Amino acid sequence: MKRLYLPLILFLIMVLEGVALELLPGSLLTNDLLIVPHWVFIFLVYIAIFYDKDRTYFSVMYALIFGLVIDIVYTEVLGVYMFSYALLIYVVHGLKKLLHGNIFVTILLGIVGLALADVAIYLIYMVVGITDVAWKEYLSIRLLPTVLSNLVFLLALYPIVVKKLTAWGREQLARSNPI
Amino acid sequence: MSFLRKKRLFIILIGFIILVALIGFSLRDRDNLTGVEEFINDTVGWAQGIIHAPINFITDIVGNMDDFKDTYKENRILKEKLAEYKGLIYEVQELKEENEDLRNNLELTDSDNMRNYNPIQATVMSRSPERWIEQVTINKGKKDGVEANMAVITPEGMVGKVLAPSQSTSTVQLLTGFDQFNRISGTVSRDGQEIFGMVEGFDKETESLIFRIIEESKEDLKEGELVVSSGMGGVFPAGLPIGEVKEVVPDQYGLTRTALVEPAADMYDINQVIVVDRAVQEDTENGEEGE
Repeated sequence: MKRLYLPLILFLIMVLEGVALELLPGSLLTNDLLIVPHWVFIFLVYIAIFYDKDRTYFSVMYALIFGLVIDIVYTEVLGVYMFSYALLIYVVHGLKKLLHGNIFVTILLGIVGLALADVAIYLIYMVVGITDVAWKEYLSIRLLPTVLSNLVFLLALYPIVVKKLTAWGREQLARSNPI
Repeated sequence: MSFLRKKRLFIILIGFIILVALIGFSLRDRDNLTGVEEFINDTVGWAQGIIHAPINFITDIVGNMDDFKDTYKENRILKEKLAEYKGLIYEVQELKEENEDLRNNLELTDSDNMRNYNPIQATVMSRSPERWIEQVTINKGKKDGVEANMAVITPEGMVGKVLAPSQSTSTVQLLTGFDQFNRISGTVSRDGQEIFGMVEGFDKETESLIFRIIEESKEDLKEGELVVSSGMGGVFPAGLPIGEVKEVVPDQYGLTRTALVEPAADMYDINQVIVVDRAVQEDTENGEEGE
């Protein structure tokens, strides 16, 4: 039963992403800055750092699944979020083996992963033709505000989830087979 | 170790191939969503509805209080308007009768009228967090009679069209996300003559719709004129307000002129929308482009 917690939380966060943008006052959306919530990705970073052991790849699996769901529900262009989330969570998972999991490492990996994931999404959308924003403009109007606002979410989440995730990881992954 | 490296590279390559295949699959012209997509859309829509319910309840209460505060002021204005309306009602009555008579003479039934439509009320549930994709989800789907390419309006004017209906939810593409593949045939109506054109997309810099004037007329468009849908495209009914002309500029080749049109409806603060089910059913094949 406890194994269902993670997918449920991820699902809830994903639903909130969409509802939040609808409920926030319109003035936030009309200004020039494009703030994209990547809360699912932030939570996946936590899973990669604190839940997963070195040989398990639950975070990457969840990244694949929920990336695809985001694509289906919110963008209709399949595969973009799935690929970028999974790839970058895989990178974060790889880097965490080298570093000890504490708050600074989390912030560092979170920022790097998030920025690269958003850049990957930008590049794919650019190739597909959904956006034609120039690189410089993208940096200032989307990447920076997005990373900063998601960093707030990352910091807010830290005290709540770290202990829980570590405990669940110890409990559930001690005997399980690596995937 | 080298085997592991190779395996890793291999997986990333396969992932890339899957990515390209998926994008290709989703970008081709699709009439319908696959069953899996519909199922996921409906499930997420259901969850969004649950989250929405208490929040809506609270915002309703707050909204009611605000309404009370404004009541006195509004009441005064409304009384003034009411006096004006009395004259108008009489005029409308006359026109309606006349219209009916003329229609009877031409032996047209009511359903032939391009202006007629069946409204489907819906609530906006969520907006895509990916800001480059201007789309919202509404809580009505195929079960309620929503079909692809139907126009979506608010009382102020048009906001977009239905992109992909699922069973109980549908995604709506907003006007701000329109491109040359989603054109609306529009018209500026004035005494004596009409100017026809196409709304061909949204210009992000000026935050206005691009209205290309097809038919060159002797008189120029002026600022503040209202662009409405013409109903000629066979998808949207006639007479839905689209926006006001803000500026008229020559297009990039200098051959035709385009008008920058400010959308009548606020695209960023939408709660209640009406899906417009056009009463006249022309051949649906034609409606593909949403012209």
